[in-house]
Amino acid sequence: MDSLIVLEQVTKRYGADTVLDRVDLAVAPGQVVVVIGPSGSGKSTLLRCVARLEEIQHGRILIDGKLVLRGSQDAGPIPDAATLRALRNDIGMVFQSFNLFPHLTVLENVTLAPRRVMGISSAEAESLAIELLTRVGLEDKRDAYPSRLSGGQQQRAAIARALAMHPRVMLFDEVTSALDPELVGEVLKTMRGLAERGMTMLVVTHEMGFARDIADDVIFMDCGAIVERAPPDRIFVEPVEPRTRAFLERLLEREGGSRRT
Amino acid sequence: MSDFQFGRIVEYLPDLINGAWLTLWLSLTSVAMGLVLGLILALARYSGRKLFAWPAYVYIEFFRTTPPLVQIIWLYYGLPGIFGVDLGAFGAAAVALGLNIAAFFAEIFRAGIAGVDRTQWQAARVLGLDWVDTLRFVILPQAARKVLPPTGTTVIYLIKGTALASAIGTPELLRVGQLVANETFRPVETLTIVAIAYFVLTYPIALAFHALERRFAADRA
Repeated sequence: MDSLIVLEQVTKRYGADTVLDRVDLAVAPGQVVVVIGPSGSGKSTLLRCVARLEEIQHGRILIDGKLVLRGSQDAGPIPDAATLRALRNDIGMVFQSFNLFPHLTVLENVTLAPRRVMGISSAEAESLAIELLTRVGLEDKRDAYPSRLSGGQQQRAAIARALAMHPRVMLFDEVTSALDPELVGEVLKTMRGLAERGMTMLVVTHEMGFARDIADDVIFMDCGAIVERAPPDRIFVEPVEPRTRAFLERLLEREGGSRRT
Repeated sequence: MSDFQFGRIVEYLPDLINGAWLTLWLSLTSVAMGLVLGLILALARYSGRKLFAWPAYVYIEFFRTTPPLVQIIWLYYGLPGIFGVDLGAFGAAAVALGLNIAAFFAEIFRAGIAGVDRTQWQAARVLGLDWVDTLRFVILPQAARKVLPPTGTTVIYLIKGTALASAIGTPELLRVGQLVANETFRPVETLTIVAIAYFVLTYPIALAFHALERRFAADRA
């Protein structure tokens, strides 16, 4: 099957720092790909480039075979505006810091983009939002403002908000990293439900157990490059690359250590 | 100070009330103009595009750093001579004060917009909202809450600043006060009444801004 997300030789620099170094990546429809790696390895930047929140210097990013981002220092065709408009709903993104709109209720957070971008009526947007809020277990919080919600509830509201645009791909950028440990589970459960429904997902996370459960493929990134890509039962059990092995060993040590205390 | 005498001034109360009305209208006109122009200037400054940001910068600094009294006089005496445009005393004062206050509003609004977390723009962007909708539904409502207090202060400052229009003969509150003082030979008493009138005009505005602040605060609780 044709890939839904394709990155070809994507290079991104901040000044002299190379954050992404000739990254190639393909994600098939329905696939769940989890990206792991040390902080500063470029995982989040990778996601942000797919969401077109960042520029890239070299390479190309295609969604569903259509060019959406091209290296600013490359020659060649640029993405055309009509394609970008047509594809703008295709990618949903959830952030580490939730980024809900604090002046709007949960329901208004979810209905804003469907009303303004897809142009559906308020009533339609509302019934869509209520359906999604029910799915993430927040139907009773529809009229609450984000500041009244726990971190886990805010993050689930943010997931509902992204889903309201009927994206074909969902990007998750360390969405449980800012949560208290006891709230992580409810967000992961919501994400698992999405994966089971066949959503294409690109997930940056530090939750290795979750990665093992949910991922079709796990990618290990280091220093802006993809070091290794393999199904979870291979990469976690017998990683091929020494760097992957070293990272996973360090992680296991730390987790083991924290569990004993 | 025991010979404070308000007796004769009472006869001139209708004139003073007319002056207060004119002050109110002058204030409303220039605030309305200043708010709209100030927002445009703030967005131009914030856009980061030299083509827009630079003219806005020059405008803001020019109007912030020259005396509003001079600006009023330029418009009243200068415009007819140079461009053949005669706005009249009220028009010249309203436009000059509006242009002036816009520069102050612009800086307040720019700070307010910049104070909204960058991630709010990003969240709106990945939802597919365009620039106008992002501003209208996401950024400006949040910026508005932040800029309420300094905006209120600036509005009050402007209402009192309309007294400068007396310099070109606009019969606003202070001008009428001066005339009444001349006729009654009671400048202290007259100006005390004028001061009370300014208070009556501005205090409700201060209360309104406080009420707005409280409403927005309740919104987010």
